[in-house]
Amino acid sequence: MMKDSKPDDVTLIRRIAQAQADAISELYDRYKRLVFSIAFAVVGDRAVAEEVTLDVFVQVWRKAGSYLPERGKVSTWLIAITRNHAIDVLRWQNSHPEADGVVWDEISLPDGQGTHELENGMEFSAERERVRNAVSHLPEDQRQAVAMAYFKGYTQSQIAHVLKQPLGTIKTRIRLAMQKLRKLLDEDQQM
Amino acid sequence: MTQTDHVLESLSAYALGSLDEDEARQVAEHVSGCHICRAELKVFQQITGQLLLAVPDALPPAELKPRLMERIQRLSPKRAPSAGRLVPWRLLPVGAVAGLLLIVALAVSNLLMWQRINNQEFLAGPLGMRAIALNNTDAAPGASGFVIISVDGQNGVLVVDELPPLDEQHEYQLWLVDNDHNTSGAVFNVDENGYRGVRIVAPESLLMYSAVRITLEPAGGSTSPTGVQVLDGSLFNP
Repeated sequence: MMKDSKPDDVTLIRRIAQAQADAISELYDRYKRLVFSIAFAVVGDRAVAEEVTLDVFVQVWRKAGSYLPERGKVSTWLIAITRNHAIDVLRWQNSHPEADGVVWDEISLPDGQGTHELENGMEFSAERERVRNAVSHLPEDQRQAVAMAYFKGYTQSQIAHVLKQPLGTIKTRIRLAMQKLRKLLDEDQQM
Repeated sequence: MTQTDHVLESLSAYALGSLDEDEARQVAEHVSGCHICRAELKVFQQITGQLLLAVPDALPPAELKPRLMERIQRLSPKRAPSAGRLVPWRLLPVGAVAGLLLIVALAVSNLLMWQRINNQEFLAGPLGMRAIALNNTDAAPGASGFVIISVDGQNGVLVVDELPPLDEQHEYQLWLVDNDHNTSGAVFNVDENGYRGVRIVAPESLLMYSAVRITLEPAGGSTSPTGVQVLDGSLFNP
């Protein structure tokens, strides 16, 4: 039986660096859901998220030659580009998303409901499940603080101002949330 | 260093990017010199990297892909507009370095016709090669040059024109640049017109390098650039 001959992500990036359009097409098919999900989670608007997604893959097309495998996985690289660009777009628009409708509302659903469709057999699907499970165990106020910091680019001072809470309270929430995530992800890793 | 000198309690917020500017700067300065805090920060950075995997799923519309491919097509290398007749690619031998040098030699005679080659310009003929124009410096203001690289990066040629001819004690040296590390790619002199075409020899694919520079060196070349720079250029698409 013949082995699946789909190129790995690094090979795709190398082909993209050689201006092979079919390679960027394949990469888009593999990661469109992840990139768009992150973009939408940050900017909160589908049309803007579409533009961010396009920008991300165009940047990959332009900068594929600068990707170094020893610095991290392709997926990690894509995630970083997406988040950074989406937050930049938020700042350019001078947007201040409401504190409500925080990106992780769906994470609190019991039994991990929501779409968990595997995306072309990506290796991080199981990891995604682990992280979602860990996040779902955070108290809501901690989850909200972390989401505002990481997905909306708020500083702790800004979060305190928006939520009308003391700065010390916000600092504590973020610190406790990250410590709990660390503990949960460590425990899950060892299971 | 005591426990209070560390910034452990700020590291998680720093990893999230949620510290105010001053505090972030203080943490960054401390971390650069503290292996304990640096190790802790790495753990939190791994966690923040994972957080983005946990966002709710959202699927882009089907029409997004054709929009992307259209943008990609607009960005793809295009043949340079011809202010004059360029090299007849289809008449030349395919693949061999000797053929590449012949292409370059013929192309140089048309160099002045490439009126729109300023900083960088790419063309893709049937041989799938890239040509990158180089920038001159104050040390050689009349010089011009370009690098031609095959699509797979395995072959490359440098062509220069109107570089000042050198005496016997000096030669020009081409450097391939990657993350501030310089690898020698060629050592050469030029004829009385300042012209030379030379094959680039590199330990790995030319696609792994981000830029080239040409410097003036002692005859036989140097282990690293020592002399004045005369030409340079980026090997990436703009």
